[in-house]
Amino acid sequence: MTMWKIILLIILAEVWNTAGHIFFKKSANRFGTHDFGSFKGWLKFMGDVYSSPLIWLGFVSMVAGMAIWVLALANADLSFVFPMGSLQYIFIIFASYIFLGEKIDRMKFVGTLLVVLGIVLIGVS
Amino acid sequence: MKNSHITLKLLILIIANDIGDSIAQLFLKKGFLVGGMSSVGFADIGEFVSRNIGSPWVWLGLFIYMMNFFIWILILYRVDLSIAMPVSSTSYMIIPFLAIFFLHEHVSPIRWAGIILIAAGIYFVLKSPKVKKAGALR
Repeated sequence: MTMWKIILLIILAEVWNTAGHIFFKKSANRFGTHDFGSFKGWLKFMGDVYSSPLIWLGFVSMVAGMAIWVLALANADLSFVFPMGSLQYIFIIFASYIFLGEKIDRMKFVGTLLVVLGIVLIGVS
Repeated sequence: MKNSHITLKLLILIIANDIGDSIAQLFLKKGFLVGGMSSVGFADIGEFVSRNIGSPWVWLGLFIYMMNFFIWILILYRVDLSIAMPVSSTSYMIIPFLAIFFLHEHVSPIRWAGIILIAAGIYFVLKSPKVKKAGALR
Protein backbone atom coordinates (compact mmCIF):
# COMPACT_ATOMS: atom_id res chain seq x y z
CA MET A 1 0.00 0.00 0.00
CA THR A 2 1.38 3.39 -0.90
CA MET A 3 2.00 6.12 1.65
CA TRP A 4 -0.81 8.24 0.22
CA LYS A 5 -3.29 5.42 0.45
CA ILE A 6 -2.41 4.92 4.11
CA ILE A 7 -2.74 8.63 4.85
CA LEU A 8 -6.12 8.60 3.11
CA LEU A 9 -7.20 5.61 5.23
CA ILE A 10 -6.13 7.34 8.44
CA ILE A 11 -8.02 10.51 7.53
CA LEU A 12 -11.08 8.44 6.59
CA ALA A 13 -10.92 6.63 9.93
CA GLU A 14 -10.66 9.95 11.74
CA VAL A 15 -13.62 11.43 9.88
CA TRP A 16 -15.79 8.47 10.94
CA ASN A 17 -14.52 8.69 14.48
CA THR A 18 -15.20 12.41 14.63
CA ALA A 19 -18.69 11.85 13.25
CA GLY A 20 -19.25 9.31 16.04
CA HIS A 21 -18.30 11.82 18.73
CA ILE A 22 -20.50 14.49 17.12
CA PHE A 23 -23.47 12.09 17.15
CA PHE A 24 -22.78 11.23 20.81
CA LYS A 25 -22.59 14.87 21.78
CA LYS A 26 -25.67 15.83 19.75
CA SER A 27 -27.58 13.09 21.52
CA ALA A 28 -26.27 14.11 24.95
CA ASN A 29 -27.34 17.70 24.29
CA ARG A 30 -30.91 16.52 23.82
CA PHE A 31 -31.17 14.64 27.12
CA GLY A 32 -33.51 16.25 29.60
CA THR A 33 -32.48 17.17 33.11
CA HIS A 34 -31.53 14.24 35.29
CA ASP A 35 -31.48 13.74 39.01
CA PHE A 36 -28.20 11.95 39.62
CA GLY A 37 -28.86 11.88 43.35
CA SER A 38 -31.14 8.87 43.07
CA PHE A 39 -30.79 5.39 41.61
CA LYS A 40 -33.95 5.98 39.63
CA GLY A 41 -32.36 9.05 38.06
CA TRP A 42 -29.38 6.96 36.94
CA LEU A 43 -31.65 4.32 35.46
CA LYS A 44 -33.55 7.01 33.58
CA PHE A 45 -30.28 8.39 32.24
CA MET A 46 -29.20 4.92 31.11
CA GLY A 47 -32.54 4.46 29.41
CA ASP A 48 -32.08 7.79 27.63
CA VAL A 49 -28.62 6.76 26.44
CA TYR A 50 -29.52 3.36 25.08
CA SER A 51 -32.83 4.40 23.50
CA SER A 52 -31.29 7.27 21.54
CA PRO A 53 -30.97 6.65 17.78
CA LEU A 54 -28.17 9.22 17.61
CA ILE A 55 -26.15 7.18 20.12
CA TRP A 56 -26.54 4.08 17.96
CA LEU A 57 -25.63 6.09 14.86
CA GLY A 58 -22.53 7.20 16.75
CA PHE A 59 -21.74 3.56 17.58
CA VAL A 60 -21.93 2.58 13.91
CA SER A 61 -19.64 5.48 12.93
CA MET A 62 -17.15 4.51 15.63
CA VAL A 63 -17.06 0.89 14.50
CA ALA A 64 -16.56 1.96 10.87
CA GLY A 65 -13.75 4.27 11.97
CA MET A 66 -12.13 1.54 14.04
CA ALA A 67 -12.26 -0.98 11.16
CA ILE A 68 -10.54 1.47 8.80
CA TRP A 69 -8.04 2.34 11.54
CA VAL A 70 -7.10 -1.34 11.96
CA LEU A 71 -6.71 -1.62 8.19
CA ALA A 72 -4.28 1.32 8.25
CA LEU A 73 -2.41 -0.15 11.23
CA ALA A 74 -2.06 -3.49 9.47
CA ASN A 75 -0.32 -1.79 6.54
CA ALA A 76 1.90 0.77 8.23
CA ASP A 77 4.21 1.22 11.19
CA LEU A 78 2.64 2.23 14.48
CA SER A 79 5.32 4.92 14.72
CA PHE A 80 3.73 6.55 11.69
CA VAL A 81 0.06 5.89 12.46
CA PHE A 82 0.24 6.94 16.11
CA PRO A 83 1.32 10.59 15.55
CA MET A 84 -1.13 10.87 12.65
CA GLY A 85 -3.85 9.82 15.08
CA SER A 86 -3.44 13.08 16.97
CA LEU A 87 -4.97 14.90 13.98
CA GLN A 88 -8.24 13.63 15.44
CA TYR A 89 -8.14 16.48 17.95
CA ILE A 90 -8.04 19.05 15.17
CA PHE A 91 -10.91 17.37 13.35
CA ILE A 92 -12.93 17.38 16.57
CA ILE A 93 -12.38 21.05 17.32
CA PHE A 94 -13.48 22.13 13.83
CA ALA A 95 -16.42 19.72 13.81
CA SER A 96 -17.65 20.91 17.22
CA TYR A 97 -17.56 24.47 15.92
CA ILE A 98 -19.38 23.66 12.68
CA PHE A 99 -21.87 21.00 13.77
CA LEU A 100 -22.39 21.72 17.46
CA GLY A 101 -21.94 25.48 17.51
CA GLU A 102 -19.41 25.29 20.33
CA LYS A 103 -17.31 28.37 20.93
CA ILE A 104 -13.67 27.97 20.01
CA ASP A 105 -11.61 30.76 21.48
CA ARG A 106 -7.90 31.34 21.06
CA MET A 107 -6.95 29.55 24.30
CA LYS A 108 -8.86 26.41 23.33
CA PHE A 109 -7.42 26.40 19.83
CA VAL A 110 -3.82 26.93 20.95
CA GLY A 111 -4.28 24.38 23.76
CA THR A 112 -5.50 21.76 21.29
CA LEU A 113 -2.59 22.46 18.94
CA LEU A 114 -0.16 22.02 21.85
CA VAL A 115 -1.75 18.65 22.71
CA VAL A 116 -1.40 17.53 19.07
CA LEU A 117 2.22 18.66 18.95
CA GLY A 118 2.93 16.88 22.23
CA ILE A 119 1.48 13.60 20.95
CA VAL A 120 3.51 13.89 17.74
CA LEU A 121 6.69 14.40 19.80
CA ILE A 122 5.91 11.37 21.98
CA GLY A 123 5.22 9.39 18.81
CA VAL A 124 8.54 10.16 17.18
CA SER A 125 10.64 9.85 20.35
CA MET B 1 -28.78 23.35 31.12
CA LYS B 2 -25.36 22.48 29.73
CA ASN B 3 -22.30 23.93 31.32
CA SER B 4 -19.56 24.73 28.90
CA HIS B 5 -17.07 25.06 31.74
CA ILE B 6 -15.61 22.23 33.68
CA THR B 7 -15.75 21.43 37.39
CA LEU B 8 -13.13 19.53 39.36
CA LYS B 9 -15.51 16.59 39.61
CA LEU B 10 -15.88 16.45 35.83
CA LEU B 11 -12.13 16.80 35.35
CA ILE B 12 -11.57 13.79 37.63
CA LEU B 13 -14.26 11.88 35.72
CA ILE B 14 -12.53 12.59 32.39
CA ILE B 15 -9.14 11.47 33.75
CA ALA B 16 -10.69 8.35 35.31
CA ASN B 17 -12.37 7.59 32.00
CA ASP B 18 -9.05 7.95 30.23
CA ILE B 19 -7.21 5.73 32.71
CA GLY B 20 -10.02 3.18 32.40
CA ASP B 21 -9.45 3.16 28.66
CA SER B 22 -5.76 2.37 29.12
CA ILE B 23 -6.54 -0.39 31.65
CA ALA B 24 -9.09 -1.92 29.29
CA GLN B 25 -6.50 -1.96 26.51
CA LEU B 26 -3.99 -3.56 28.86
CA PHE B 27 -6.48 -6.31 29.78
CA LEU B 28 -7.32 -6.93 26.13
CA LYS B 29 -3.64 -7.12 25.24
CA LYS B 30 -3.00 -9.51 28.13
CA GLY B 31 -5.91 -11.69 27.03
CA PHE B 32 -4.69 -11.74 23.44
CA LEU B 33 -1.16 -12.66 24.57
CA VAL B 34 -2.54 -15.59 26.59
CA GLY B 35 -4.59 -16.50 23.51
CA GLY B 36 -1.29 -16.77 21.71
CA MET B 37 -1.77 -15.18 18.31
CA SER B 38 0.80 -12.48 17.82
CA SER B 39 -0.15 -11.36 14.34
CA VAL B 40 -3.57 -11.47 12.82
CA GLY B 41 -4.44 -11.08 9.18
CA PHE B 42 -7.96 -10.59 7.97
CA ALA B 43 -8.19 -14.26 7.03
CA ASP B 44 -7.55 -15.30 10.66
CA ILE B 45 -10.41 -13.35 12.23
CA GLY B 46 -12.48 -16.47 12.86
CA GLU B 47 -9.67 -18.24 14.68
CA PHE B 48 -8.76 -15.08 16.56
CA VAL B 49 -12.28 -14.74 17.92
CA SER B 50 -12.62 -18.41 18.85
CA ARG B 51 -9.28 -18.36 20.69
CA ASN B 52 -10.12 -15.29 22.75
CA ILE B 53 -13.86 -15.50 23.34
CA GLY B 54 -13.34 -17.56 26.50
CA SER B 55 -10.71 -15.29 28.02
CA PRO B 56 -11.72 -13.56 31.27
CA TRP B 57 -9.13 -10.84 30.53
CA VAL B 58 -10.81 -10.04 27.25
CA TRP B 59 -14.26 -9.92 28.84
CA LEU B 60 -12.95 -7.73 31.65
CA GLY B 61 -11.48 -5.37 29.06
CA LEU B 62 -14.72 -5.26 27.09
CA PHE B 63 -16.71 -4.67 30.28
CA ILE B 64 -14.54 -1.68 31.22
CA TYR B 65 -14.93 -0.36 27.67
CA MET B 66 -18.70 -0.54 28.03
CA MET B 67 -18.72 1.24 31.39
CA ASN B 68 -16.32 3.81 29.96
CA PHE B 69 -18.59 4.50 27.04
CA PHE B 70 -21.40 5.27 29.47
CA ILE B 71 -19.16 7.60 31.51
CA TRP B 72 -18.05 9.34 28.30
CA ILE B 73 -21.69 10.08 27.42
CA LEU B 74 -22.18 11.37 30.96
CA ILE B 75 -19.18 13.67 30.46
CA LEU B 76 -20.52 14.89 27.12
CA TYR B 77 -23.86 15.57 28.81
CA ARG B 78 -22.11 18.16 30.96
CA VAL B 79 -19.11 19.44 28.98
CA ASP B 80 -18.45 20.78 25.48
CA LEU B 81 -16.92 18.18 23.17
CA SER B 82 -14.22 20.68 22.21
CA ILE B 83 -13.16 20.76 25.89
CA ALA B 84 -13.67 17.12 26.86
CA MET B 85 -11.72 15.78 23.89
CA PRO B 86 -8.38 17.56 24.37
CA VAL B 87 -8.56 17.01 28.13
CA SER B 88 -9.02 13.29 27.55
CA SER B 89 -5.47 13.16 26.20
CA THR B 90 -4.17 12.89 29.77
CA SER B 91 -3.27 9.23 29.22
CA TYR B 92 -0.50 10.28 26.86
CA MET B 93 1.03 11.95 29.94
CA ILE B 94 -0.04 9.51 32.62
CA ILE B 95 1.35 6.39 30.98
CA PRO B 96 4.90 7.74 30.51
CA PHE B 97 4.76 8.97 34.12
CA LEU B 98 3.76 5.51 35.35
CA ALA B 99 6.57 4.04 33.26
CA ILE B 100 9.05 6.42 34.88
CA PHE B 101 8.03 5.93 38.50
CA PHE B 102 7.05 2.27 38.57
CA LEU B 103 9.13 0.73 35.83
CA HIS B 104 12.06 3.18 36.11
CA GLU B 105 12.11 3.52 32.35
CA HIS B 106 14.34 6.06 30.77
CA VAL B 107 12.46 8.89 29.12
CA SER B 108 14.14 10.78 26.31
CA PRO B 109 14.24 14.59 26.29
CA ILE B 110 11.95 14.64 23.23
CA ARG B 111 9.39 12.58 25.10
CA TRP B 112 9.64 14.93 28.09
CA ALA B 113 9.02 17.83 25.73
CA GLY B 114 5.94 16.03 24.41
CA ILE B 115 4.61 15.42 27.92
CA ILE B 116 5.12 19.07 28.86
CA LEU B 117 3.41 20.29 25.66
CA ILE B 118 0.38 18.10 26.33
CA ALA B 119 0.18 19.33 29.93
CA ALA B 120 0.39 22.95 28.75
CA GLY B 121 -2.22 22.30 26.08
CA ILE B 122 -4.68 20.80 28.57
CA TYR B 123 -4.06 23.71 30.92
CA PHE B 124 -4.86 26.18 28.12
CA VAL B 125 -8.04 24.35 27.17
CA LEU B 126 -9.18 24.21 30.80
CA LYS B 127 -8.40 27.89 31.27
CA SER B 128 -10.26 29.09 28.19
CA PRO B 129 -13.90 29.23 29.40
CA LYS B 130 -13.01 30.97 32.65
CA VAL B 131 -10.99 33.57 30.81
CA LYS B 132 -13.87 34.08 28.42
CA LYS B 133 -16.24 34.57 31.33
CA ALA B 134 -14.05 37.28 32.80
CA GLY B 135 -14.13 39.00 29.45
CA ALA B 136 -10.37 39.18 29.19
CA LEU B 137 -10.23 37.37 25.87
CA ARG B 138 -12.65 37.47 23.03
